[in-house]
Amino acid sequence: MSAAVQHAPERNGSRPTPPVLEITGLSKTFGATRALIDASLDIRPGEIHALVGQNGSGKSTLIKTLAGYHAPDAGSVAQIDSELFDLGRAVPDGLRFVHQDLGLVLELNAMDNLALHGGFARGAAGRVRWREQEQETYRVLARFGVDLDIHRPLAAATPVERTVVAIAAALQGWNGGRGVLVLDEPTAVLPHDEVERLFAMVREVRSAGTSVLYVSHRLDEIFELADRVTVLRGGRVIGTHDVADIDAAQLASLMVGEDVDPDYRAPVAARPDAPVVLEARDVHGRWLRGVDLDVHRGEILGIAGLAGAGVLELPYVIAGCAQHPVSGRIRLPDRSPEWKDAADARQLDIPLVPADRGREGIVAEFAVSENLSLSVLGRLGRRGRLDKRAEAQLVERWTQRLGVVAAGPGAPISTLSGGNQQKVVVARCLVRDPALLVLCEPTAGVDIGTRVAIYDLIAELSRAGLTVVLSSSDAGDVLAMCTRVVVLRGGKVAAELGGDGLTEHALVSAMEGEDR
Amino acid sequence: MTPTTVTEAVADPAAQAGSPPVRAGTPLSQRLLRGLAFDRIGAVYVWLGIIVLFSLWVPETFPNLATAKQILNANAITALAAMSITIPLAARVFDLSFAGVMTLTGVAVAHLIAKDGVPVVPAIALALAIGVGVGVINAVVVVVMRIDSFIATLATGSLIAALITMVTNEVPITDAKLGGDFARIGQTSIDGVTLAVVYCAIVAIGIWYLLEHTATGRRLYATGFNPDAARLAGVRIDRLRFGSLVASGGLAGATGIVLASTLGSGSPTAGTPYLLPAFAAAFLGATQLKHGRFNAGGTIIAVLLLGTGVTGLALANAPQWAGDMFVGVVLIAALALTGLQRRATRTRGAA
Repeated sequence: MSAAVQHAPERNGSRPTPPVLEITGLSKTFGATRALIDASLDIRPGEIHALVGQNGSGKSTLIKTLAGYHAPDAGSVAQIDSELFDLGRAVPDGLRFVHQDLGLVLELNAMDNLALHGGFARGAAGRVRWREQEQETYRVLARFGVDLDIHRPLAAATPVERTVVAIAAALQGWNGGRGVLVLDEPTAVLPHDEVERLFAMVREVRSAGTSVLYVSHRLDEIFELADRVTVLRGGRVIGTHDVADIDAAQLASLMVGEDVDPDYRAPVAARPDAPVVLEARDVHGRWLRGVDLDVHRGEILGIAGLAGAGVLELPYVIAGCAQHPVSGRIRLPDRSPEWKDAADARQLDIPLVPADRGREGIVAEFAVSENLSLSVLGRLGRRGRLDKRAEAQLVERWTQRLGVVAAGPGAPISTLSGGNQQKVVVARCLVRDPALLVLCEPTAGVDIGTRVAIYDLIAELSRAGLTVVLSSSDAGDVLAMCTRVVVLRGGKVAAELGGDGLTEHALVSAMEGEDR
Repeated sequence: MTPTTVTEAVADPAAQAGSPPVRAGTPLSQRLLRGLAFDRIGAVYVWLGIIVLFSLWVPETFPNLATAKQILNANAITALAAMSITIPLAARVFDLSFAGVMTLTGVAVAHLIAKDGVPVVPAIALALAIGVGVGVINAVVVVVMRIDSFIATLATGSLIAALITMVTNEVPITDAKLGGDFARIGQTSIDGVTLAVVYCAIVAIGIWYLLEHTATGRRLYATGFNPDAARLAGVRIDRLRFGSLVASGGLAGATGIVLASTLGSGSPTAGTPYLLPAFAAAFLGATQLKHGRFNAGGTIIAVLLLGTGVTGLALANAPQWAGDMFVGVVLIAALALTGLQRRATRTRGAA
């Protein structure tokens, strides 16, 4: 399989530089599953090298083997700066990692977090020299140009500030020069408008001569940032390409193994004349500053905007799950002409697919069936007794309808892939037979194949007559699915786009509030 | 790097590494069955092992019906106490005040009967109401005032201790009136088994039904595992937490009354010795039958295992410290083993 590593033809003329990190014949077997099969990878000095692949492609296994969590099968060879190292057992100093969850202690401040990774400046009797520590922290963070209060707990910092602290912590003790910084899906938790800031940091790292191995799901990021890209599929390296020589459609089909259009549009029709099923008036909240909303039956209404615009708050308000005090009026004119106070929106029984699947969506300790039936337990059985047979039937029907791939209804939900977990959460909402479904960041952290599967699922539900409100900070999601988009800016409706007016250019301009 | 990062990173490949992580098929179900038998009732095997061990060690006194009944009678109150905290623990709410409630209702019922001349039935009803009342106070502090249940019930437990000392002056309430009908509640025995054992069985069946066969039970577990997800799925987590604390107040109160009847007095320290054994049994029980879920059956198994070991050691004339040491060793071993097993299943799951 090493033939798969194609060094792109553009290299003719340029002097071949010895790679800073070279891995050959890396295999890793878990029981009967071969997570990685003869994978090879080389990273040149000072390049940003993207590593892409769907869930289960072996990306994480590769990263975790590099980080020393997994010992690979025999025959795997790794060299850093032409020196062999013991892959999976030793982590050479030239390899630094920022894992997806960043590995920070949010209760501690930036200074403490950096010291936890790099060590405290200590004096006699183990006393920490705080003054020195403080100066060191400022010095380390200075290169990234962030204005961060290093004495405040990181919980109060923005996601991008946390990412910077994590990167700085990983790079401590290195003063530029050769080495590889591994960034594992750093943008998974970043709002759209902060991604650019992260890219600037990554370029800053490269400019010091350090190579970056950048793991990502998102094709647009790769084209904006990376020099080369390696594609993994089913544990094998499918190929390494210069980003300049490949386009998004080619890359996507390499990842998925069949032709997948990254510019996918769900086949949904606009329904401007359909009656209104949800009306919201003058909604205020932590971010919202008076939003009016009308949702028509059968449409997929997008709510788009940057972080802080209220995009992530509005769905929670509609579903009656807001964490902060809210005001305003909401009603479902189909069901009752009576207005509800936004604070009592829960009584409207509108289900929500939350933004953070792991934290707010699934109950990890529960089985698939228990997760699915959680919202309708009261309906299953009489006088409090839970009718297990009715539950099994319900679970069977919905897992089939949404095509959930699982070992069975009793399988722990944690054994499912992210996309299938998301389907279970959607099913949990749909069993309530809702007037409309509210989705929040439905494709956060899922790969392109699953993403399209979720798009198709929502489009199918919409064709079946379900009304959907979809809020996302990802313009791609909104463009792919929505028939009409309400753009929020500063907690207010800034624009409404629909029909021919709904283009990427118009959407991004409206989100950012610029006249481009 | 925090420890969590490492464990998560290690555990994660289960979901990531395999191609489709779950596949239908017999090998998996067979493996599951085998895994279940081993994980589910490991403590029962250990218990049987202990029985065999003591039968060989002290053949004259241990392997007979009298000893078995003695073990049941001696541990019924511990089991009842452990049951009372199982419901809040399922929702990940700690009720550290339950031992205080036991003492309080015991003292209250004794005081009412002995000093105030209240007839037995109303005295019991009043004492029970006091238990439920403390549960409500706990619930208000934890759910309404949003104070962490661990510290909140520690605080209310301290208030209860103050109240008990105020009423009793640390002198047990004893009176001939406590010997009549009231004593029969706990001291009546059927064929050598006291009524307390029967109460315990009834409560265990009730809690098993609640947690296993009702929507409320499922919601309690969901609240305990992931309150955010439960709330967004429409579960009224505050109401459940409130109810769980009221339930534990009521159950601990009832246990305290049974204990006072067994002792024939209202002792100002009656409940204290049950605090740690009850939590030990509940946590050990959560490793049995239903992985990681506090459940009635597991708690009973745990009480029997610990009780048999302690009784056996006493019969074998082992030194005084042997019982406590046994409990400590069993707890650490059981929880460590469960952790190892889970990790092993995860690795196999990744396959």
